[in-house]
Amino acid sequence: MATRDPNGKHPIQKLMDNPWLLLVLGIVIPTVSYTIWGWIELWLVPTATLP
Amino acid sequence: MSIYNPPAGWFKAPTGAERLWVGLALTWCIIMSLAMPYWHFYGKQNSTGESYRVSVADYGARVQQFVESNTVGTEQGVPIVEIAPGGDGYLLARMWAFYPIIKLKKGQTYRLHISSLDLQHGFSLQPLNMNFQVLPGYDHVLTITPTSSGIFSIICNEFCGIGHHSMTGRIIVED
Repeated sequence: MATRDPNGKHPIQKLMDNPWLLLVLGIVIPTVSYTIWGWIELWLVPTATLP
Repeated sequence: MSIYNPPAGWFKAPTGAERLWVGLALTWCIIMSLAMPYWHFYGKQNSTGESYRVSVADYGARVQQFVESNTVGTEQGVPIVEIAPGGDGYLLARMWAFYPIIKLKKGQTYRLHISSLDLQHGFSLQPLNMNFQVLPGYDHVLTITPTSSGIFSIICNEFCGIGHHSMTGRIIVED
């Protein structure tokens, strides 16, 4: 479990007090896990042989 | 960002009942996340995601060839087409019909190809309620083994225009 640093701030508070980091995470995580992953999936679809 | 910053040390880690509740919710999230891959492999109802890139013209021509060589009858002008056990069959979606009527035998395994000639449709097999997307340019292959006989309806469950409500198809399974 997370523990407080010597300054007394809980790690989750440090995260929540950093709006720019939250903004970056909020953009990077969905971009990678939805958009880029989706592009890779589409790129890897093979051509049909229609047997 | 708020106009006024909260006082330093505002965060209070959950304790007691709150901590128990958060823990239970997190545990349930993990269980349900694991249930998805579990059901994919053991439920035997989901698509394996086998799909290929195909041109609309090539797919349309292949369906026509399949219909011409495997038709065993007609119903209201729609050909009834039987797939050879273990073989490949082709179903086509277009505004606003599924074509042709597919005929299968119970207990046999088939590879059913599905694609669209125009825009996105939805393949919903009733009353089993198995649902798949149908996209032009992509050949989606379902490996299916009917476990019961009867007449099964296909309905389009992706809104595809003014005739969407009338877009139906049929799969006949014989003993």
